[in-house]
Amino acid sequence: MQRKSKAAFPLAALLALCLLLSACGGSNNSGSSSESPASSGSAPAASGSSSNDKEMELTLAFMGIGNMKEVGLVQEEISKITKAKINATVKLMPIDIGAWTQQVNLLLAGNEPVDLLVTSSFFNYSSQVAKGQLLPLDELLPKYAPTIQDTMEPAIFNSTKINGKMYGIPSIRDTAADHGISARKELMDKHGLTFDNVKSYADLDPIFQKIKDNEPGVYPLVQRSQTNGIANELVRGYVDYLGDTPGVLIIENQDLKVVNLYETQLYKDALQQARKWYQAGYIMPDAATTQEGNNSLIKAGKGFSYLSNMKPGFAAQETTVNGREMVTASIVPPISTSDSGTGFMISIPKNTQDADRAAQLLNLLYTDKDVANLIANGVEGKHYVDAGNGQIKAPEGGSDYVFNQWEVGNNSLAKVWEGMDPTIWEQTKEFNKNSTFSKALGFSFDSSPVKTEVAAVLNVNNQYKAGLESGTIDPSKLDEFVRKLKDAGLDKIVAEKQKQLDEWAQANNVQ
Amino acid sequence: MKTNDMNQVAVHAIFILLAAFCLIPFVLLFMSSVSSESSIVNNGYSFWPKEFSLEAYTYLWSQKSAMFNSYGITILITLIGTFVGLLISALLAYPLSRRDLPMRGILSFLVFFTLLFNGGLVPTYLIYTEVFNMKNTLMALIVPGLLTNGFFILLIRTFFANSIPVQIIESAYIDGASEFKIFYRMVLPLSLPILATIGLMLTINYWNDWFNGLIYITEPQLFSIQNLLNRMLVNIQFLQQNNLGGQNMAVNLPMNAVRMAMAVVGILPLILIYPFFQKYFVKGLTIGAVK
Amino acid sequence: MAKTGWVATFKKLKRYRALFLMMIPGFAYLIMNNYLPMFGVVIAFKDINYAKGILGSDWIGFKNFEYLFKTKDAFVITRNTILYNGSFIVLNTVFAISVAILLNEVRNKLAARFYQSVILLPFLISMVIVGYLVLSMLSAESGYLNLNLLPMLGMEPISWYFEPKYWPYILTIVQLWKATGYLCVIFLAAIIGIDHEYYEAATIDGAGKWHQIRSITVPLIAPTITIMTLLAIGRIFYSDFGLFYQVPLNSGPLQPVTDVIDTYVYRGLMTLGDIGMSSAAGLYQSLVGFVLVLLSNYIVSRRNKENALF
Repeated sequence: MQRKSKAAFPLAALLALCLLLSACGGSNNSGSSSESPASSGSAPAASGSSSNDKEMELTLAFMGIGNMKEVGLVQEEISKITKAKINATVKLMPIDIGAWTQQVNLLLAGNEPVDLLVTSSFFNYSSQVAKGQLLPLDELLPKYAPTIQDTMEPAIFNSTKINGKMYGIPSIRDTAADHGISARKELMDKHGLTFDNVKSYADLDPIFQKIKDNEPGVYPLVQRSQTNGIANELVRGYVDYLGDTPGVLIIENQDLKVVNLYETQLYKDALQQARKWYQAGYIMPDAATTQEGNNSLIKAGKGFSYLSNMKPGFAAQETTVNGREMVTASIVPPISTSDSGTGFMISIPKNTQDADRAAQLLNLLYTDKDVANLIANGVEGKHYVDAGNGQIKAPEGGSDYVFNQWEVGNNSLAKVWEGMDPTIWEQTKEFNKNSTFSKALGFSFDSSPVKTEVAAVLNVNNQYKAGLESGTIDPSKLDEFVRKLKDAGLDKIVAEKQKQLDEWAQANNVQ
Repeated sequence: MKTNDMNQVAVHAIFILLAAFCLIPFVLLFMSSVSSESSIVNNGYSFWPKEFSLEAYTYLWSQKSAMFNSYGITILITLIGTFVGLLISALLAYPLSRRDLPMRGILSFLVFFTLLFNGGLVPTYLIYTEVFNMKNTLMALIVPGLLTNGFFILLIRTFFANSIPVQIIESAYIDGASEFKIFYRMVLPLSLPILATIGLMLTINYWNDWFNGLIYITEPQLFSIQNLLNRMLVNIQFLQQNNLGGQNMAVNLPMNAVRMAMAVVGILPLILIYPFFQKYFVKGLTIGAVK
Repeated sequence: MAKTGWVATFKKLKRYRALFLMMIPGFAYLIMNNYLPMFGVVIAFKDINYAKGILGSDWIGFKNFEYLFKTKDAFVITRNTILYNGSFIVLNTVFAISVAILLNEVRNKLAARFYQSVILLPFLISMVIVGYLVLSMLSAESGYLNLNLLPMLGMEPISWYFEPKYWPYILTIVQLWKATGYLCVIFLAAIIGIDHEYYEAATIDGAGKWHQIRSITVPLIAPTITIMTLLAIGRIFYSDFGLFYQVPLNSGPLQPVTDVIDTYVYRGLMTLGDIGMSSAAGLYQSLVGFVLVLLSNYIVSRRNKENALF
């Protein structure tokens, strides 16, 4: 057609323009983003006392669950201290957990300044390292934060290393976990029930039965959430998951053999137990699809108890969260798994304006009492008031700043809330120390070589797990589940994990 | 010619059924927002709650500064976005509807191509934040939605092409009117039906948009109402469906009733305004029809 | 020959310069919002390393696409996506047009306005909320159906969220419910644009209502129908994420019936955080849609030049 040939030139010009623009835009991005690691890499070399001359604003990005309304106020107070100590103000950047992966990816794709970032093995920590999103801390720590490693177990401190380099510092929290049951005290007392004779999960049957018979409308056992099923809780105390892909270690074996959890006797027994309880009517019929979590179910009076991982002071914590007094019983002794340390850490992302300064702020979070307290608890008077005995409690009318401590920094420096044992941090330290450590503590699995299989396996998981683990689906379906998993490439993942684990063990002299 | 009365009855009957089908979920939504939390957890959502309570709305009222602020943001971006978006769309669609436009095919293709190919979230985000520095600005809420990828342009173009007789335009041009004048004085007034329609679509899109807010805005003052609601819902859902190693979250999860109340509050203004809009909407439609 | 070509073109451009000026804001926007980010298409073929930047990362060919094809699930999700979208296109169009035509027939203007507002309402609710509302109907324990309706009909309660066979219907109904009002508005605008003289002439000629609808209304809104359908075909590999993920409450047993490409990608992205893979999926979806639209557009332009998109 005539028109088309005449239009050819302008069309070509337009397309060329577009390509040109996109190339420019692209190269700008790549140019600047490839510069920053170089510049922050060279900064330590040029550092010294002169590095704090420039005032800057350091951004700390974390998961903003809880109430973040008055984060500005807290930020101001923290900045006062940091300005004096390291000539930098602090900007707190809460990010919604539902959008975490996406937002962090976007943030780090460009050049927005982010100086400290909460990272976690539950949120692709090892992928982040593999993709170059985080900076190694090995050289920065001795210079700016030499005492951090004294605040926690050495095994935990070193557990964040990938390929010999450290990319994150674990937060001070309960890194070990014991497992057991929490139940409503008032109902326990009402029916004369006690956990004294409960040594294993099967011992719980008579208690559940009593509740079922005498409390209509109350379910003896509820799940933590739709995806955290009963069977899952039953096995969790015995297993090191090595990340959230298939292939686990059985801790009591104290070996380095990666197995498929779904084919172990442990798992099969757990499914049978869950099924038994489901058929006995102890578990809600729609446990696998309910949108309510254990806390709201207990609060509303619909549930009686739940299984979970615990820590020192757990009963007190749950009492506050549920609004009802709870009692707990520990059934499986404490363990520390490979993601105990990497569960929640702080890292310095590649977007930092100045790695040295970021490291100094990191140091403050772990050594400065006031900073740690401000970020964990907020501003005195507004977000907490003195409760005597060195402890604190919530102010009248509630607080507009509720932070989840376990994410960041050295919480043992922060003040303790009323209702918690004042010696809680000492107890936690002991608890962590005396747990059974998994041999693989410190190992992080990089799933990129098998990412296709991981995506497929996840899909199969989603189809069966919730139903099987809540006891809703008969355990006879387990074979079908395992078969589908294998079709999706489960064995390949397990083999890859074993391979990486063996390499890691060799490199770190672990037998 | 309209149908006779028998048929009218049948038509009305059909619509009453349809209307009920559409309204019932709203009734449920509203009723749940005035239920007490424990009755929802224990009995699920019901049309007549076991226990009534205004606790959801009291909670929302306690957040009134945030709520009013986000309302303001939503209204602002909706008004500006709709107006500017409509203008740009019409300006782009009109030349494309003219069969005598040189390179019409190519240009249409260029517009249409964008509907099918998208560079993806990350590059778009990078362009807006790095090249144009729009993060945490009102612009970030307005600009990405302006043309909604050319879908509306094609609708407008079709309307222009089929409902505006070429003869009118040609005779006006011969009479010496400039293209702009023709557009402004003749084409636009004749196109009220489609403009009203697209205007409505844009309004709904802007009002309901939460995605742009989610990725471009972190300053709470710039949260639109749907943004606020959706953040909350997505967070809740995430925590429900993911197992963060059993970490115990001391979270302030808004109760069920509050979520419902937020949803009601988010939709209510639109529902209330729409009937008023409809007056002009229908007027525009009938004027267009009568020609 | 070439010279006259250029001069003529230039003259033409001059004559139409006002029109070109009008298009500038629109094109500026399209360049900014759509064409510039297209450089990102390369992400699908790279192993993104943020330290090296997007352009500096390594090329890995089609590895990011593997998870969409290699696994058994690939067939299921593709089949689901196509079947659902295909039926949605057909059902939505038929339904929306019927409703629009009927609405046009209502004599009482006030009633017409009321109906129109009401059927538009569902469009305004977010899918997450819709998920909760559906739950209130289908919950095994406290849902309206199991508690009230089924006993009334003398049937046993059904564990809805565990029975895949009902869900294609449930999802289709929810989708229809939500989309009809919106589409209806568009078709209604087109119907109102039809000149009344056609109808008057037809009535004089003795044509009945049905006949008029078939030979006047539908053909005259054909351009609109064509566009809406072509556009829908272009998006045939995209799904409404909320509909397939949130409404079924992410229930495992339903997956064979409710899993579509978008939900599969989302699950993968959540754990792997790999933007290369999600970018690859996006490219795959775009390409398929693009090819299909080109084909359809070609077919349409053969029958009626005017109705084609370009």
